[in-house]
Amino acid sequence: MNLEQTNHPNSSQQVSHEQPVLMLDQVTKRIGKKTIVDRLSFEVRRGEIVGLLGPNGAGKTTAIRMMTGLFTINEGDIRIAGQSIRKQFKQAIVHVGGIIENPEFYPYMSGFDNLKQAARMTDNVTDARITEVISLLGLQEALHKKVKAYSLGMRQRLGIAQALLDRPKLLILDEPTNGLDPAGIREMRDYLKKIAQSEGIAILVSSHLLSEVEQMCTRVVIIQNGKLVTEHNIGDQKNATLLPELRIRVDRPSAAVQILKKLEPVQMIEVKEDASELVCRVADADMPTLIDALREADVVVYRIAETKKSLEDEFLQWTGGNQIA
Amino acid sequence: MRNMTALVQNEWLKLTKKKSFWVSPALLVAITGLVTFMLYKFGTDVEEMGSGVAYMAGMLGASGMGQFIAILSVVATSGIIAQEYAQGTIKFLLIRSRSRGEILISKYLVVLLYILMMMAIAAVVLFIVGGMAFGFGGTGEQWIAVLKQATYGFVYSLVYASFAFMIGVLTRSTGVAIGVGLTGTMFGGILIYKDFYKYVLFPNADLSVYGNMGPPLPGMTLGFSILVLVVYVALFLVAGYTVFRRRDVA
Repeated sequence: MNLEQTNHPNSSQQVSHEQPVLMLDQVTKRIGKKTIVDRLSFEVRRGEIVGLLGPNGAGKTTAIRMMTGLFTINEGDIRIAGQSIRKQFKQAIVHVGGIIENPEFYPYMSGFDNLKQAARMTDNVTDARITEVISLLGLQEALHKKVKAYSLGMRQRLGIAQALLDRPKLLILDEPTNGLDPAGIREMRDYLKKIAQSEGIAILVSSHLLSEVEQMCTRVVIIQNGKLVTEHNIGDQKNATLLPELRIRVDRPSAAVQILKKLEPVQMIEVKEDASELVCRVADADMPTLIDALREADVVVYRIAETKKSLEDEFLQWTGGNQIA
Repeated sequence: MRNMTALVQNEWLKLTKKKSFWVSPALLVAITGLVTFMLYKFGTDVEEMGSGVAYMAGMLGASGMGQFIAILSVVATSGIIAQEYAQGTIKFLLIRSRSRGEILISKYLVVLLYILMMMAIAAVVLFIVGGMAFGFGGTGEQWIAVLKQATYGFVYSLVYASFAFMIGVLTRSTGVAIGVGLTGTMFGGILIYKDFYKYVLFPNADLSVYGNMGPPLPGMTLGFSILVLVVYVALFLVAGYTVFRRRDVA
């Protein structure tokens, strides 16, 4: 399967251990005169769960369809484990497991028969592997029921099962939590995290549920109008030198402001009189000073909380905010 | 080769696991039995028919049950691609390590298998009911006629099924493919006495005419018709493949 790599020792990038599992290189898709995806480039590496985000019509689904060979590519290329999806489709797609939009199956067949269908389109999937995947996803009981009798959650699980059959290096999931109830979403999330860690599978998830992506992904790629807007790691402070932003609720905000303004290490941001809150920045090391100063002035502190910018805030900031995905 | 066998197996299971699958064979058995009974009861002179095998030869061709098999084959073929789109399973099918060409070939092979199955069912039923009506046992010559007529019947169904197959690929609609395919089979009976019409598919589809009545239009021979059919079927398959291979699947 990896003959291609060993045959070209001179292309050092391909042989490298750090070769990305998924690499989009200046990918462009036009339909008619409209450019749906415009010179999009990004990478996904082993063990990463990357969220692909963007407002409606940003080109997420088009990008995913190109990655899976469902759409042709006008310009650029997509490489999966080093293999071009344009030129070596079969060698590239063999590393991919996917659910594109909804998990679709032959409704008049049982879950097991559907998995057998998928297995017959691979080279290495044995009955033992099918059984393994079935128990991995807890599908034993519904296995011989017809798929048309499945709930959406069951179908999602069957979808993951068929995607994992051939031990992919890359899992591509288009809206994986679509239509799942909160318990199902959580189950799916935990499961994806588990397989990314234990099997080192790279996972690309497109979703419009930002809080979902925030909890699940290690990195996000945000696109808009078919172009890359930004990518960044979740949990990273965008500016690490920035002090944490705090909201402090007190009984007498105006008095508190006077005290804090005198304290050198505290940067006041604003006072919210109606909510009896102060917003300021202060380093952890200077917190005791701040608290002592307030107590000395008999200002009662009710609550101190860090205000974190959510992914949603950032997303809106990046994409202009007028159209939520 | 092993890949192709597995793909064909997949396609065959998709076809046969549907509950509605058995409607067509059941209909074929029923109609064959009914027609034979009516002929026996009201029409045919038992002496004149000779034997059940002779009857079988007469009925397997496009002027007998072959026509009906063609219609049922068109119906079965029309959904073989279009259904994948309707169910959304086309994505399930195409994101595997199999080329679109292989997928399309496996589907076409299943169409061939389906027609063969229907021919076999018709042959067995005709042998039994024909034997019961007109006597079992037949001459070697009659058995050769059976083989010939079965071949003609098979070719006839194949031509129209290939047509419906292409329409199914192009339009992604089961209904349109059935409609166009069946309209095609109806055109088989219409002759336009113009020279160009001999190059059209329809008057060439039934090869059995050369045995009984001579060419439908002047200048047509068995070889000519075979060539025309080969060209048309090749055209249908190439057109279907060209579109299917490049098409964006939404």
